[in-house]
Amino acid sequence: MADNGISSSHQVNSVLIQPANLECKNLYDYLTTRPPTVLERLYNHPTICLAVYRELPELARQYVIRILFVEQPVPQAVVASWGHQAFSKEHVYVSKVLTDLFVWQEAAIPGGLPGWILSSTFKRNLKIALLGGGKPWSMSSALDPDSKARDVAFLDAYSAERWECVLHYMVGSQQQEGISADAVRILLHAGLMKRDEDDGSPVITRQGFQFLLLDRQAQVWHFVLQYLDTVQQRGLDLAECLTFLFQLSFSTLGKDYSTEGMSSGLLIFLQHLREFGLVYQRKRKAGRFYPTRLALNITSSQAKGAPVLEEDAPKGYIIVETNYRVYAYTDSNLQVALLGLFTDLLYRFPNVVVGVLTRDSIRQALRGGITAEQIIGYLKQHAHPQMLQTESSHTLPPTVVDQIKLWELERNRLVYSDGVLYSQFLSQADFNVLREYAQSSGYLIWSNKEKRTMVVNKSGHEDVKKFWKRYSKGN
Amino acid sequence: MNNVTPANENPTEFSSADETSLLVIILDTNPGQRILRENPHILTQCVDSVIAFANSHLMQKAQNKLAMMACHSKSSEFIYPGANKPLDIRQIDGQYEIFTLVEKTVKANLAKFIASESIALTNESLLAGAIAMALCYIHRIQRTKPPGCKLNSRILVVTGSGDSAFQYMSYMNVFFTAQKLSVVIDVCALDQHLSLLQQGCDITSGLYLKVPQLQGLLQYLLWVFLPEPPIRPKLVLPPPVKVDYRAACFCHRELIDIGYVCSVCLSIFCKFSPICTTCHTVFKIPGPLAVKSKKKKIKL
Amino acid sequence: MVDEEDPKEYRWETGYEKTWEAIKEDDEGFLEASVADIVQRAKRKRQAQKQPNTKLGMMRHLYIIIDCSDSMSNQDLKPTRLLCTIKLLELFIEEFFDQNPISQMGAIIMQNKRAERISELAGNARKHIKAINNLNRTSLNGEPSLQNGLNMALKSLKLLPTHASREILIVMGSLTTCDPGDINITIDMLKAEGVRCSIIGLAAEVHICRQLAVETGGTYNVILDDSHYKDLLFQHIEPPPAAVCLESSLIKMGFPHQMVVEGTEEPLTMCMCHVDSTDEGSKLTTGGYYCPQCCSKYCELPVECRVCGLTLVSAPHLARSYHHLFPAANYKEIDYDSRATICYACQKAFGDTDKNIYRCPNCEKIFCIDCDIFIHETLHTCPGCATNLSLFQNHNSE
Repeated sequence: MADNGISSSHQVNSVLIQPANLECKNLYDYLTTRPPTVLERLYNHPTICLAVYRELPELARQYVIRILFVEQPVPQAVVASWGHQAFSKEHVYVSKVLTDLFVWQEAAIPGGLPGWILSSTFKRNLKIALLGGGKPWSMSSALDPDSKARDVAFLDAYSAERWECVLHYMVGSQQQEGISADAVRILLHAGLMKRDEDDGSPVITRQGFQFLLLDRQAQVWHFVLQYLDTVQQRGLDLAECLTFLFQLSFSTLGKDYSTEGMSSGLLIFLQHLREFGLVYQRKRKAGRFYPTRLALNITSSQAKGAPVLEEDAPKGYIIVETNYRVYAYTDSNLQVALLGLFTDLLYRFPNVVVGVLTRDSIRQALRGGITAEQIIGYLKQHAHPQMLQTESSHTLPPTVVDQIKLWELERNRLVYSDGVLYSQFLSQADFNVLREYAQSSGYLIWSNKEKRTMVVNKSGHEDVKKFWKRYSKGN
Repeated sequence: MNNVTPANENPTEFSSADETSLLVIILDTNPGQRILRENPHILTQCVDSVIAFANSHLMQKAQNKLAMMACHSKSSEFIYPGANKPLDIRQIDGQYEIFTLVEKTVKANLAKFIASESIALTNESLLAGAIAMALCYIHRIQRTKPPGCKLNSRILVVTGSGDSAFQYMSYMNVFFTAQKLSVVIDVCALDQHLSLLQQGCDITSGLYLKVPQLQGLLQYLLWVFLPEPPIRPKLVLPPPVKVDYRAACFCHRELIDIGYVCSVCLSIFCKFSPICTTCHTVFKIPGPLAVKSKKKKIKL
Repeated sequence: MVDEEDPKEYRWETGYEKTWEAIKEDDEGFLEASVADIVQRAKRKRQAQKQPNTKLGMMRHLYIIIDCSDSMSNQDLKPTRLLCTIKLLELFIEEFFDQNPISQMGAIIMQNKRAERISELAGNARKHIKAINNLNRTSLNGEPSLQNGLNMALKSLKLLPTHASREILIVMGSLTTCDPGDINITIDMLKAEGVRCSIIGLAAEVHICRQLAVETGGTYNVILDDSHYKDLLFQHIEPPPAAVCLESSLIKMGFPHQMVVEGTEEPLTMCMCHVDSTDEGSKLTTGGYYCPQCCSKYCELPVECRVCGLTLVSAPHLARSYHHLFPAANYKEIDYDSRATICYACQKAFGDTDKNIYRCPNCEKIFCIDCDIFIHETLHTCPGCATNLSLFQNHNSE
């Protein structure tokens, strides 16, 4: 381009743009990325139908239940008339979700009107889950009572210990035994850890830190999804594993289930789940297993850690005061370590840690790749019941929340955008013409008259270049 | 480029996904109801429909809670969760274990409850008392819930018996209490039109439906009563009917347009009488005329 | 009426005597349970004092007189006395009309030695709340005049029919009053008219206030803090016992109902309440309540018909007040003896933490303490009695 005196250079900003954040998929996102044939196969199991049903938007659930007992296709116009006019946008969205998941399909009605009909497999199996019939999910009915039955408290302690083992390993705490090479492989695959360049030992990544700040349910779900990605390499059947997973997710806490009739692949899967604390087995060959709280309602991560109506659910432990002080009633090293990511810890007592949120401590966390949202989310999730009791709708003091956000915004004063630099114009007139053009077409990002330099955005580059060619030829 | 994770923009966000919903179903099992006297098998059909409906409620969200009561002319009882230890249920078919548990528990407790009742044929069930019990139950759940947990509670009454004015006071007490606790009362009438309970629906902004034919009970329940109050505005549901708020006089229990009210105890009479039958107050003799002239003064 | 002063009337002399002795630590060294216990006991005690079948003044006409002198800008209540009062009064008004739907209320402020009426006697909670809220913007100055305030209230209460219960509630922040004449004459007039005057003092006890309350049969209390303030204020929600001079009569009332003819659209009509105002409410509407005597339309109940003077109410309005007259029977406290396993109403299983359980004298069902309080404070219907036909009929025919 030197012939007409302009050099344009690509500026690649993607290095500057921060690396991708931890991406959390929900069940819907996961299933829509599977091919329809897999979905169809999955719908053969009542458990999956039930899980998919619960993941649907509220309005969609009403639609499905309304046509669950209808054998013919229902005209689309009729379905649309169930909702109020004011919410027609939501109706369109809901119809799309149902179509995406192949829960319903378009079908013509005699008379030519377009209609919806529920997928017959989905319909049959949802009915089975709701009303009964079909085959039981497992062979547990033949199981005789366990002579050494385990209670819920034991299972909770067990699962917490197992899961924290994984998390401890990630933060590199002392307790490193008890995690298998297999689990490490999954962590690496998920990008939560990476091999250190020097000695090849796994170290935690930015996504890993973000993962640690998620609530437990979301952690388990994310982890399991990553695990499922590797399932096929292990020679296991994805559909089988998913079915089993949801079967677990709909089981009852404190009850034992039989391993009888499970394929060898599933038994391997079960051992993996056992390692992460999703199920408890006394012995590998015990013939029975107990699902733990981690496995229950595995997909309901959308609840965002909101307290549920369970008497024995784990309690929060963090109190945040308006003076930025943080009190955490915990003796777990892991929780203290996590808190230490974004607070300056002041004192530590046997059952409580005191820290303070400062600009420096937050900025350090932000530099580590944790976002303000995630810090606030973490504090909120683990808020002490006392914090929740206050009348106001805010759990955390609004001033603290705002300040954390401001500290984050402080670091984002630069706005990055991809662009192409035009410089070394021969005359001011040339520069002016091109700048006029770029500006009127909305491509101009920045220009400097004195230095005769301008930047246009990437999408406009071709256009501006063409214009310049035309213009310089015309002269 | 900001690195705040973009909020999930899809419309699911504005649904009440993280709220727990507690449903208390009150099922009238009084054998004196007209429909049951004529055909006792209808009870089985109703119970099956109600159980299927209850399970559909539990199917909506993992957090949803359920309680069920049976109401008789002599007493009312919780048939789910029930006072006893939960049954030990093993899965017998493809049904979700929890649903099987609901079905078995309800049927077992109901059988026990009906057997314990002596057969007294009154066609009036004490629904007000049952609602009062349900409110106490809801109040306990609300009181003991973990802080920060959002709970929507509602009561669904399924009944085929009539409502007469002699429970009037209890009905009004429970309706106002429900309104205070923001508990929605829905009523599904199987046989007769229920004007008092309809007032309750109106006061607590619940839905009232008289089922046109019993065969389709489950469908009516699923269509009208399954949607929880927060999403009801989004759906086209039976419009609220104009409710008749006329009072019934204490002397003849008849609906009146104009009546006399005792200034001491607020009893309503259709004719002037010198002594109040409720509180035994003796009234001044001047009739409505004197009252009227005084009323005019107030307007000054 | 009490004439001599009760020497033990002061709150700090009786109420909280040696409260610390009642507080005991539980097994884990917490005090919460013990404190909650005291609160519950206090509630039960108040409940037990309520006597059924006393004559109550149900048709209440209450004037609230609010001190708006400069003493109300004092910050001993947070943020200021006035703002705290406004907040509490809002709650009070709402609750008042919830519990006394056919009653009327008005509000007067005292400021700069004058009295000013900020809302007329009326039965509409929203209007009063709006008026009270507007006080935010008044400047607080001068001294209050108790006499002027009382006179203004008396002037309008005098006109009420004899069956109406007349009350004045004064919120007094100042320790002085600046009156144009002898306030004792005003007190005598109030006494003669049977107006019950109650005072809530925000600062300290003042002799004239006590005299006013004692003479007219009202109550006089000085607050300790804001929660005590709320407590005192909310005691006035319960209708007081009827004054001796209160006459009883039968009042003619109309029970309007919508005139709906099936299948036809209702005609657009103008309601009488908005007919001569120009603000947003005055539009032609369908629906509404029609006076059964003269067929004029109103958009809200309760209301007094402007044309024929008939009081229009709906049955639930009356029903809201019934529980004052027919309260649920007080339960008997008995020791927990592990015979009863669950609370009849809420299905709570009794455990070792329940020291006492409560039995209804009529239906003999057993309840837990929380249900006992809930039933008597809010529900007003015993679930045990209401689910038993034979008891129910007995109870009703009493």
